[in-house]
Amino acid sequence: MSRLKYIIFISVFISAVATVGIWYLASRKFIDTANEQSIYSIRALDLIKEFKKSDSIANIKFAGKIISVNGTVTSVEAADSTVNIKLADTASGSYAIFNFQQKNIREAKTINQGDNVTVKGYCNGGVYSEILEAEFISFTRCVLNK
Amino acid sequence: MKKSVLIAAFICVSTFLFAQKKMTTSATINFDATTSSDGLAKAENKTVVAAIDPRSGSIAFEAIMKSFSFSNPMMQDYFNGDNWLETDKFQTSTFKGKITNLAAVNFSKDGTYSSEVAGELTIHGIAKPVTTTGAVIITGKSITVTASFTIKLEDYGIKSKAIDVGKVAKEPKITVEADFK
Repeated sequence: MSRLKYIIFISVFISAVATVGIWYLASRKFIDTANEQSIYSIRALDLIKEFKKSDSIANIKFAGKIISVNGTVTSVEAADSTVNIKLADTASGSYAIFNFQQKNIREAKTINQGDNVTVKGYCNGGVYSEILEAEFISFTRCVLNK
Repeated sequence: MKKSVLIAAFICVSTFLFAQKKMTTSATINFDATTSSDGLAKAENKTVVAAIDPRSGSIAFEAIMKSFSFSNPMMQDYFNGDNWLETDKFQTSTFKGKITNLAAVNFSKDGTYSSEVAGELTIHGIAKPVTTTGAVIITGKSITVTASFTIKLEDYGIKSKAIDVGKVAKEPKITVEADFK
Protein backbone atom coordinates (compact mmCIF):
# COMPACT_ATOMS: atom_id res chain seq x y z
CA MET A 1 0.00 0.00 0.00
CA SER A 2 1.42 3.36 -0.99
CA ARG A 3 1.97 5.97 1.69
CA LEU A 4 -0.85 8.17 0.23
CA LYS A 5 -3.36 5.31 0.30
CA TYR A 6 -2.35 4.56 3.89
CA ILE A 7 -2.90 8.18 4.96
CA ILE A 8 -6.32 8.28 3.21
CA PHE A 9 -7.35 5.00 4.86
CA ILE A 10 -6.33 6.22 8.34
CA SER A 11 -8.10 9.58 7.80
CA VAL A 12 -11.33 7.91 6.67
CA PHE A 13 -11.16 5.46 9.58
CA ILE A 14 -10.62 8.22 12.16
CA SER A 15 -13.45 10.32 10.63
CA ALA A 16 -15.81 7.33 10.72
CA VAL A 17 -14.99 6.55 14.37
CA ALA A 18 -15.40 10.22 15.33
CA THR A 19 -18.76 10.47 13.50
CA VAL A 20 -20.09 7.33 15.21
CA GLY A 21 -18.83 8.60 18.58
CA ILE A 22 -20.47 12.02 18.18
CA TRP A 23 -23.71 10.42 16.91
CA TYR A 24 -23.72 8.06 19.93
CA LEU A 25 -23.20 10.87 22.46
CA ALA A 26 -25.73 13.17 20.78
CA SER A 27 -28.44 10.50 20.58
CA ARG A 28 -28.07 9.21 24.15
CA LYS A 29 -31.09 9.44 26.43
CA PHE A 30 -31.41 9.24 30.19
CA ILE A 31 -31.95 5.78 31.65
CA ASP A 32 -35.52 5.16 32.79
CA THR A 33 -35.47 5.95 36.54
CA ALA A 34 -37.63 2.87 37.17
CA ASN A 35 -34.59 0.79 36.16
CA GLU A 36 -32.14 2.72 38.33
CA GLN A 37 -31.05 1.70 41.81
CA SER A 38 -31.64 4.17 44.66
CA ILE A 39 -28.46 5.28 46.39
CA TYR A 40 -30.45 6.34 49.48
CA SER A 41 -33.95 5.63 50.77
CA ILE A 42 -35.13 8.24 53.24
CA ARG A 43 -38.26 9.70 54.82
CA ALA A 44 -39.19 13.12 53.42
CA LEU A 45 -39.11 14.81 56.81
CA ASP A 46 -35.63 13.39 57.53
CA LEU A 47 -34.40 14.57 54.13
CA ILE A 48 -35.75 18.07 54.74
CA LYS A 49 -34.17 18.04 58.21
CA GLU A 50 -30.76 17.23 56.72
CA PHE A 51 -31.03 20.09 54.21
CA LYS A 52 -32.23 22.52 56.89
CA LYS A 53 -29.30 21.56 59.11
CA SER A 54 -26.75 22.25 56.36
CA ASP A 55 -27.70 22.38 52.69
CA SER A 56 -24.06 22.40 51.59
CA ILE A 57 -23.38 19.10 53.38
CA ALA A 58 -26.73 17.64 52.24
CA ASN A 59 -26.05 18.67 48.64
CA ILE A 60 -22.75 16.79 48.68
CA LYS A 61 -24.55 13.74 50.04
CA PHE A 62 -27.71 13.72 47.89
CA ALA A 63 -27.38 15.93 44.78
CA GLY A 64 -26.74 14.12 41.52
CA LYS A 65 -27.99 10.80 42.92
CA ILE A 66 -31.10 8.67 42.58
CA ILE A 67 -32.98 8.81 45.89
CA SER A 68 -36.19 7.15 47.11
CA VAL A 69 -38.23 9.39 49.37
CA ASN A 70 -41.23 8.32 51.43
CA GLY A 71 -43.86 10.58 52.92
CA THR A 72 -47.34 12.03 52.84
CA VAL A 73 -48.26 14.13 49.82
CA THR A 74 -48.98 17.66 51.00
CA SER A 75 -49.91 19.02 47.57
CA VAL A 76 -50.21 18.07 43.92
CA GLU A 77 -49.43 20.81 41.41
CA ALA A 78 -50.64 19.68 38.00
CA ALA A 79 -50.65 21.45 34.65
CA ASP A 80 -51.60 20.17 31.19
CA SER A 81 -48.39 18.30 30.50
CA THR A 82 -46.74 18.03 33.89
CA VAL A 83 -47.29 17.05 37.52
CA ASN A 84 -45.29 18.04 40.56
CA ILE A 85 -45.98 16.52 43.93
CA LYS A 86 -44.75 17.98 47.19
CA LEU A 87 -43.79 16.33 50.45
CA ALA A 88 -43.51 19.19 52.90
CA ASP A 89 -42.67 19.89 56.49
CA THR A 90 -45.84 21.86 57.20
CA ALA A 91 -44.35 23.42 60.34
CA SER A 92 -41.49 25.18 58.54
CA GLY A 93 -42.81 25.33 54.98
CA SER A 94 -39.70 23.53 53.70
CA TYR A 95 -40.40 20.86 51.10
CA ALA A 96 -39.18 18.34 48.57
CA ILE A 97 -40.74 18.65 45.12
CA PHE A 98 -40.89 15.86 42.54
CA ASN A 99 -41.31 16.35 38.81
CA PHE A 100 -42.20 13.11 37.05
CA GLN A 101 -40.56 11.76 33.92
CA GLN A 102 -42.74 12.09 30.83
CA LYS A 103 -43.73 8.42 30.59
CA ASN A 104 -44.88 8.38 34.25
CA ILE A 105 -47.05 11.49 34.21
CA ARG A 106 -50.24 9.45 33.91
CA GLU A 107 -49.44 7.52 37.13
CA ALA A 108 -48.45 10.79 38.83
CA LYS A 109 -51.88 12.22 38.04
CA THR A 110 -53.44 9.45 40.16
CA ILE A 111 -51.67 10.73 43.29
CA ASN A 112 -53.78 12.76 45.70
CA GLN A 113 -53.04 15.01 48.61
CA GLY A 114 -52.80 12.91 51.77
CA ASP A 115 -51.55 9.77 49.98
CA ASN A 116 -48.55 8.02 51.45
CA VAL A 117 -46.08 7.51 48.61
CA THR A 118 -42.50 6.54 47.88
CA VAL A 119 -41.07 8.46 44.96
CA LYS A 120 -37.78 7.62 43.27
CA GLY A 121 -36.03 10.38 41.38
CA TYR A 122 -32.88 12.26 40.52
CA CYS A 123 -32.02 14.76 43.26
CA ASN A 124 -30.99 18.17 41.86
CA GLY A 125 -30.11 19.45 45.31
CA GLY A 126 -31.69 21.90 47.68
CA VAL A 127 -31.36 25.58 48.50
CA TYR A 128 -32.84 28.13 50.87
CA SER A 129 -35.50 30.13 49.04
CA GLU A 130 -35.49 33.84 49.82
CA ILE A 131 -38.99 34.07 48.37
CA LEU A 132 -40.46 31.34 50.55
CA GLU A 133 -38.05 31.73 53.45
CA ALA A 134 -37.82 27.94 53.50
CA GLU A 135 -35.63 25.17 52.18
CA PHE A 136 -36.66 23.47 48.94
CA ILE A 137 -35.24 20.31 47.43
CA SER A 138 -35.90 19.54 43.78
CA PHE A 139 -36.18 16.16 42.07
CA THR A 140 -36.64 15.41 38.37
CA ARG A 141 -37.19 12.25 36.26
CA CYS A 142 -39.31 10.80 39.07
CA VAL A 143 -41.34 7.59 39.20
CA LEU A 144 -43.62 6.10 41.82
CA ASN A 145 -41.90 3.29 43.68
CA LYS A 146 -44.32 0.42 43.84
CA MET B 1 -78.55 50.23 54.60
CA LYS B 2 -77.35 47.01 56.24
CA LYS B 3 -77.26 45.33 52.83
CA SER B 4 -75.09 48.03 51.25
CA VAL B 5 -72.67 47.92 54.21
CA LEU B 6 -72.40 44.16 53.80
CA ILE B 7 -71.76 44.46 50.05
CA ALA B 8 -69.11 47.14 50.65
CA ALA B 9 -67.45 44.95 53.29
CA PHE B 10 -67.46 41.95 50.94
CA ILE B 11 -65.87 44.01 48.15
CA CYS B 12 -63.21 45.34 50.56
CA VAL B 13 -62.38 41.85 51.87
CA SER B 14 -62.24 40.22 48.42
CA THR B 15 -60.12 43.08 47.02
CA PHE B 16 -57.74 42.73 49.98
CA LEU B 17 -57.52 38.94 49.60
CA PHE B 18 -56.98 39.20 45.87
CA ALA B 19 -54.33 41.87 46.24
CA GLN B 20 -52.23 39.70 48.54
CA LYS B 21 -48.90 38.32 47.45
CA LYS B 22 -49.27 35.05 45.55
CA MET B 23 -46.68 32.31 45.20
CA THR B 24 -46.11 29.12 43.25
CA THR B 25 -43.49 26.40 43.48
CA SER B 26 -44.23 24.98 40.02
CA ALA B 27 -43.45 27.82 37.64
CA THR B 28 -41.58 26.85 34.47
CA ILE B 29 -38.59 28.31 32.67
CA ASN B 30 -37.64 27.14 29.19
CA PHE B 31 -34.11 27.67 27.99
CA ASP B 32 -33.58 27.44 24.23
CA ALA B 33 -30.04 27.81 22.89
CA THR B 34 -30.55 25.62 19.83
CA THR B 35 -29.04 26.64 16.52
CA SER B 36 -29.61 25.54 12.93
CA SER B 37 -26.66 23.14 13.26
CA ASP B 38 -27.55 21.69 16.70
CA GLY B 39 -30.86 21.08 18.42
CA LEU B 40 -29.66 19.71 21.74
CA ALA B 41 -29.21 22.89 23.80
CA LYS B 42 -32.78 23.08 25.02
CA ALA B 43 -34.01 22.54 28.58
CA GLU B 44 -36.92 23.05 30.90
CA ASN B 45 -37.17 23.65 34.63
CA LYS B 46 -40.61 22.92 36.08
CA THR B 47 -39.95 23.43 39.78
CA VAL B 48 -39.27 27.16 39.80
CA VAL B 49 -40.37 29.23 42.81
CA ALA B 50 -42.15 32.44 41.85
CA ALA B 51 -44.04 35.24 43.58
CA ILE B 52 -46.14 38.20 42.50
CA ASP B 53 -47.48 41.07 44.56
CA PRO B 54 -50.42 42.64 42.70
CA ARG B 55 -50.34 45.72 44.93
CA SER B 56 -46.73 46.70 44.22
CA GLY B 57 -46.29 44.82 40.93
CA SER B 58 -43.18 43.11 42.21
CA ILE B 59 -42.27 39.77 40.62
CA ALA B 60 -39.59 37.31 41.68
CA PHE B 61 -38.31 33.95 40.43
CA GLU B 62 -35.83 31.45 41.89
CA ALA B 63 -34.61 28.39 40.01
CA ILE B 64 -32.25 25.60 40.97
CA MET B 65 -29.92 25.40 37.96
CA LYS B 66 -29.49 21.64 38.19
CA SER B 67 -33.26 21.27 37.74
CA PHE B 68 -33.00 22.27 34.08
CA SER B 69 -33.71 19.02 32.25
CA PHE B 70 -32.23 18.37 28.82
CA SER B 71 -33.17 15.39 26.66
CA ASN B 72 -29.48 14.53 26.26
CA PRO B 73 -27.28 13.60 29.27
CA MET B 74 -24.11 14.92 27.62
CA MET B 75 -25.68 18.35 27.06
CA GLN B 76 -26.96 18.41 30.64
CA ASP B 77 -23.47 17.64 32.00
CA TYR B 78 -22.04 20.32 29.74
CA PHE B 79 -24.64 22.88 30.92
CA ASN B 80 -23.82 22.18 34.59
CA GLY B 81 -20.09 21.77 34.13
CA ASP B 82 -17.12 23.92 35.00
CA ASN B 83 -16.79 25.26 31.46
CA TRP B 84 -20.26 26.66 31.37
CA LEU B 85 -22.67 27.40 34.25
CA GLU B 86 -20.65 25.89 37.14
CA THR B 87 -23.86 24.91 38.92
CA ASP B 88 -22.01 23.32 41.85
CA LYS B 89 -20.77 26.82 42.63
CA PHE B 90 -23.70 28.92 41.37
CA GLN B 91 -26.69 26.82 42.39
CA THR B 92 -29.52 29.17 41.55
CA SER B 93 -30.61 31.82 39.08
CA THR B 94 -32.92 34.55 40.29
CA PHE B 95 -35.00 37.37 38.93
CA LYS B 96 -36.29 40.28 40.97
CA GLY B 97 -38.31 42.93 39.23
CA LYS B 98 -41.50 44.91 38.82
CA ILE B 99 -44.34 45.36 36.39
CA THR B 100 -43.62 48.91 35.27
CA ASN B 101 -47.04 49.57 33.71
CA LEU B 102 -49.01 48.30 36.70
CA ALA B 103 -51.89 50.72 36.04
CA ALA B 104 -52.59 48.87 32.77
CA VAL B 105 -53.27 45.59 34.61
CA ASN B 106 -56.62 45.18 36.35
CA PHE B 107 -56.10 42.25 38.73
CA SER B 108 -59.77 42.14 39.67
CA LYS B 109 -61.11 41.80 36.10
CA ASP B 110 -60.68 38.75 33.84
CA GLY B 111 -58.57 39.46 30.78
CA THR B 112 -55.16 39.34 29.15
CA TYR B 113 -53.05 42.38 29.85
CA SER B 114 -49.82 43.32 28.13
CA SER B 115 -47.19 44.02 30.75
CA GLU B 116 -43.76 45.58 30.85
CA VAL B 117 -41.33 44.12 33.35
CA ALA B 118 -37.97 45.47 34.45
CA GLY B 119 -35.64 43.90 36.95
CA GLU B 120 -32.38 42.18 37.68
CA LEU B 121 -31.53 38.70 36.45
CA THR B 122 -28.74 36.80 38.19
CA ILE B 123 -27.17 33.84 36.41
CA HIS B 124 -23.74 32.32 37.02
CA GLY B 125 -23.31 34.73 39.93
CA ILE B 126 -23.60 37.80 37.67
CA ALA B 127 -26.52 40.22 37.97
CA LYS B 128 -27.67 42.19 34.91
CA PRO B 129 -30.66 44.45 34.30
CA VAL B 130 -33.37 42.96 32.11
CA THR B 131 -36.46 44.54 30.57
CA THR B 132 -39.10 42.59 28.70
CA THR B 133 -42.73 42.56 27.74
CA GLY B 134 -45.07 39.79 28.72
CA ALA B 135 -48.66 39.00 29.50
CA VAL B 136 -50.64 38.90 32.71
CA ILE B 137 -53.72 36.72 32.33
CA ILE B 138 -56.45 37.03 34.94
CA THR B 139 -58.97 34.19 35.16
CA GLY B 140 -61.11 34.28 38.25
CA LYS B 141 -58.74 34.16 41.20
CA SER B 142 -55.82 32.86 39.19
CA ILE B 143 -53.03 34.99 37.74
CA THR B 144 -50.82 33.64 34.95
CA VAL B 145 -47.67 35.51 34.01
CA THR B 146 -45.74 34.76 30.82
CA ALA B 147 -42.70 36.43 29.31
CA SER B 148 -40.02 35.69 26.73
CA PHE B 149 -36.71 37.39 26.27
CA THR B 150 -33.17 36.70 25.15
CA ILE B 151 -29.97 37.01 27.11
CA LYS B 152 -26.38 37.31 25.94
CA LEU B 153 -24.40 34.42 27.45
CA GLU B 154 -21.26 36.56 27.28
CA ASP B 155 -22.89 39.10 29.66
CA TYR B 156 -23.06 36.35 32.28
CA GLY B 157 -19.47 35.26 31.84
CA ILE B 158 -20.44 32.12 29.88
CA LYS B 159 -17.97 31.39 27.11
CA SER B 160 -17.19 28.11 25.41
CA LYS B 161 -16.04 26.54 22.17
CA ALA B 162 -19.54 25.18 21.50
CA ILE B 163 -20.82 28.77 21.45
CA ASP B 164 -17.96 29.91 19.21
CA VAL B 165 -18.58 27.16 16.63
CA GLY B 166 -22.34 27.75 16.55
CA LYS B 167 -23.54 24.62 18.36
CA VAL B 168 -25.02 26.73 21.15
CA ALA B 169 -26.77 30.06 20.50
CA LYS B 170 -24.96 33.15 21.77
CA GLU B 171 -28.31 34.64 22.74
CA PRO B 172 -30.64 31.90 24.02
CA LYS B 173 -34.34 32.50 24.38
CA ILE B 174 -35.76 32.32 27.90
CA THR B 175 -39.49 31.73 28.35
CA VAL B 176 -41.07 32.04 31.75
CA GLU B 177 -44.54 30.97 32.83
CA ALA B 178 -46.00 31.10 36.31
CA ASP B 179 -49.53 30.17 37.28
CA PHE B 180 -50.54 31.71 40.60
CA LYS B 181 -53.72 30.12 41.96
